[in-house]
Amino acid sequence: MRGKTWKGRLAVFAVLVLVLAVMAGCSGRSGGSGGSGGSPSSPAASPPPASSQAPAGGGETGQTARPFEGRSITFVIANHPWGEAIKPLLPEFEEATGMTVNVDSFFEDQLTQKLTVQFASGSSTPDVFMYRPLQEGKLFFKNGWLEALDGYVSGSTDYDFADFSKAAVGSTTVDGKLTGIPIITEQEILYYRKDVLAEKGIPVPKTLTELVDAARQLHDPANEFYGFVARGQLSPLVTQVSSFIYSEGGDFITDGKASINTPEALRGMSIYAELLREYGPPGVLNMSWPQAIGVFAQGKVAFYTDASSIYQNATDPEKSNIPDKVGFAMFPAGSAGSRPYNVTSWGLAINAKSQNKDAAWALIEWATSKEIVLKTQKMGNPGARVSVWNNPESTSSYPPELVEVIRESTKGGVDHDRPTVISVGEAREVVGEIVQRMITGASETEIQTIADEANKKLQEIIDRDAQR
Amino acid sequence: MPYSWFDRNIKWIYTLPAVLFVVVMMVFPILYTVRISFFEWSMSAASPPVWVGLKNYQELFADSRFWNAVLRTFYFTFAALLLEVVLGVAIAALFFRRFRGKDAAKTVLMLPMVATPVAMGLVWLLIYEPTIGAANRVLKSLGLQPLSWLADKHQVIPSLILVDVWEWTPLIALIVMAGMTTLPEEPYESAEVDGASAWQKFVSITLPLLRPTIIIAAMLRLIDVLKTFDIIYATTQGGPGHASETLNIYGYVLAFSHFKLGMASALLVIFFAVVMAFTVLMIWLRNRLGESS
Amino acid sequence: MRKKRAFHYFAVGLICVVLLLFSFPFLWMLSASFKTQAQIMGNTGLIFFEPTFRNYVNVFKEHNFLKYIINSFVVAAGATVFSLLLGLPAAYAIARYHMQRLGMVILIARIIPGITFLIPWFILFSMAGMVDTYAALILSHMLVVLPFIVWIMIAYFEALPREIEESGLIDGCTVNRVFLHIVLPISGPGITTSSLLSFIFSWNNFMFSIILAGDRTKTLPIAVFNFLSYSEINWGGLMAAACIITLPVLAISLMTQRYVVSGLSAGAVKG
Repeated sequence: MRGKTWKGRLAVFAVLVLVLAVMAGCSGRSGGSGGSGGSPSSPAASPPPASSQAPAGGGETGQTARPFEGRSITFVIANHPWGEAIKPLLPEFEEATGMTVNVDSFFEDQLTQKLTVQFASGSSTPDVFMYRPLQEGKLFFKNGWLEALDGYVSGSTDYDFADFSKAAVGSTTVDGKLTGIPIITEQEILYYRKDVLAEKGIPVPKTLTELVDAARQLHDPANEFYGFVARGQLSPLVTQVSSFIYSEGGDFITDGKASINTPEALRGMSIYAELLREYGPPGVLNMSWPQAIGVFAQGKVAFYTDASSIYQNATDPEKSNIPDKVGFAMFPAGSAGSRPYNVTSWGLAINAKSQNKDAAWALIEWATSKEIVLKTQKMGNPGARVSVWNNPESTSSYPPELVEVIRESTKGGVDHDRPTVISVGEAREVVGEIVQRMITGASETEIQTIADEANKKLQEIIDRDAQR
Repeated sequence: MPYSWFDRNIKWIYTLPAVLFVVVMMVFPILYTVRISFFEWSMSAASPPVWVGLKNYQELFADSRFWNAVLRTFYFTFAALLLEVVLGVAIAALFFRRFRGKDAAKTVLMLPMVATPVAMGLVWLLIYEPTIGAANRVLKSLGLQPLSWLADKHQVIPSLILVDVWEWTPLIALIVMAGMTTLPEEPYESAEVDGASAWQKFVSITLPLLRPTIIIAAMLRLIDVLKTFDIIYATTQGGPGHASETLNIYGYVLAFSHFKLGMASALLVIFFAVVMAFTVLMIWLRNRLGESS
Repeated sequence: MRKKRAFHYFAVGLICVVLLLFSFPFLWMLSASFKTQAQIMGNTGLIFFEPTFRNYVNVFKEHNFLKYIINSFVVAAGATVFSLLLGLPAAYAIARYHMQRLGMVILIARIIPGITFLIPWFILFSMAGMVDTYAALILSHMLVVLPFIVWIMIAYFEALPREIEESGLIDGCTVNRVFLHIVLPISGPGITTSSLLSFIFSWNNFMFSIILAGDRTKTLPIAVFNFLSYSEINWGGLMAAACIITLPVLAISLMTQRYVVSGLSAGAVKG
């Protein structure tokens, strides 16, 4: 009875499904607002007294009732080492404050997607989240999605907000309002092959001209060894070519006007393009940092310029073929000196529609306090607190050379690595096109035409954004 | 035997639940998207959507990036679909015999479809990497010139077509194989008697009988290929430059990178119309060529 | 006879080549799941290298994979089962009564690009308090799966010879009984194929899950993204996770394939 068997199996299958559903449903976490939009766990209590600093390192107050007893908030983070570092520290915080923190983490792009969908729908969750101040900060603030934090910061004793580096805070300030607290900083540096340079007797390049020369000398495509690698993909490259532009005296926007077709800017871009075109490995146009540092970590390139935060991909023996051969240097100087970017890549912010802003601020206050920043920085997350940087304990696990380079780079760094408009996505594409055309080889007149066109488009973006 | 009300209206009772479900789930999103396409909105909570009438549509139609995306979408779709249908039918024919381990073989054939698209996209990214990837290593070992694959604006779409063909040909093969199980025996028996060769039998009996199945498989694939997103997003995100940017990718960029929901919605409406047009065309074709009795 | 034999061997050989071609990237993925990052990006071969199990250990240790597997399974199975319940009768009626227009309506759901649904559905489901529930995920996945099942089964039902049904009708059975007791039992291959493929589509869907799932209902594809972080791509972990995600579906398809073959060899349709 084939028919019966078949239907019988289907029935068993369906029952199995139902059983599993019930099982899984019952075993889900009780309480917690999980991601459901809209329902607060309890009405926002009256704002806690200013000194309700949640103890950072486990020093409980003991007698006082826990300030956020029974409350719970959602905390959305990116897949980032900082997230990995902060997660194990959360139970301490929950213990001390009585609140439950529901953490969810996403890859960069999905994070933006999810935040966008939820905020566009007017959701009150997540309460606290990680975001990229330079990529989305302005837009998020203009869209009314970020809560201004000036009041919270000034009302918070022992927080020592002045301890945060000015450049870092600059990245999270929009229209004079503090919109987020910086948690990760990075600069553009030069990665190089110590062994190859030593072998060929080439000194570490201190200027861009020296870099081009050195790359030419070490470029050996017949033996699959290339002089230079960097990001060549349309949008990703923009943040890395920025330092080249700044070091030649240019900028994306100068005095409020688009300036990517100025001689300085074009000089910076063409050095970058020349390095990639003449001394780069095949396929740069499709490379973002994973591919670029991948080729470098394979031992196939002499020089690589990119952010300091990804260094572990080259120094970890599990990930790299050349773990002990990596050297770090300051970004080489152009005709306007060495001016790499020194930016806040990630910050923490509060949802303007959150129903738990006080609890959310308590979380941020704790996570960015001196004690916690010391802990997270020690685990490889360069933070924004000057006092922590001055504490040698915080960088004990970093390659010593790298620490020096970072410290030097923060001194003169530029506080943005991309056009500081609201429509950053569009603006990056406009700039990236110029460089990509240079990489594929175009004459000088062609480049000037392309650059002028692009500059016009960038200006349009600036004008349009000014009306927001 | 008297027919109850149930039996008389059976055709409605059978179809309405499915139809109602689909309509209910679709109606709000469609209305929402169409409505927003007439506004300009960066999804802001602070400033409301601004009515702009047909401006989004006009901007799109005047945008060369839009038209390039349209062309690329068509190029990608037709090349991939053609290859997938031809190869899929060929493989189904190849598999239409008894051999040991046929289950396992069919399961292996399903691998490309089953593996998570995101992960497979990244695997192909590594395979296509010009310096350290497997693709160029294979070429070099055969004595051929290495290619740029995804990094070259002329090679990128063919490279992506290859990935799509790899991933979805098994789908067509499996659907056709399932359809082959319904083939009647008589035509084959009489052809055998008439002394027809295997090839003749295939061309004059199998193919025509399979036509409805093949067309259905092709239609389903057509709709999905037009919407291809996962592999392009995981590998090139539309690059180099915009060389692999199809309509769906451009729509995503407009919404989540440029935050222009109005224009993204307009693009989605146009996209929907295009896909509808193709579907209607294929249905018309199907009816012209007739269904098997 | 000998020619037929030779051709048969040739065909089997060709089948092996085809299988190799299609499984190559997957084999690569499998071997990479046992490698370290450095080995993956390097020149190590497919088979001969020093394997490590670290990636698999990490996957289970650091991420609550069992929960993801259960969630994915519940959602995919739920979506498939409910789509079969709604879709099979609909497909049959559309096929037998030539209801083209209703068929088109169902197909339209598949035509709409996925992004269109994200914001509207989030608004709707959060108003109903249904975000992060199985129900929301199953319903959204059904919209992808139902049209697929309906359209494949329409073709399948149309291809079925009518004699059996007609004899049933002549004997006085109602259409309902003909459907349930005559047509369905012999539709094994079509139903199996379409449900298997639907299960896979739901299993791999991540766009809807990212938006509608929360901590309790996270599905597997989202777990894959856990290995992509801001400053590193954990290739080994990613490959291990991808292999683990693929395994359950492979197992299910292997089991159901056997069923389809046995249904065939019993001469279901050909009598």
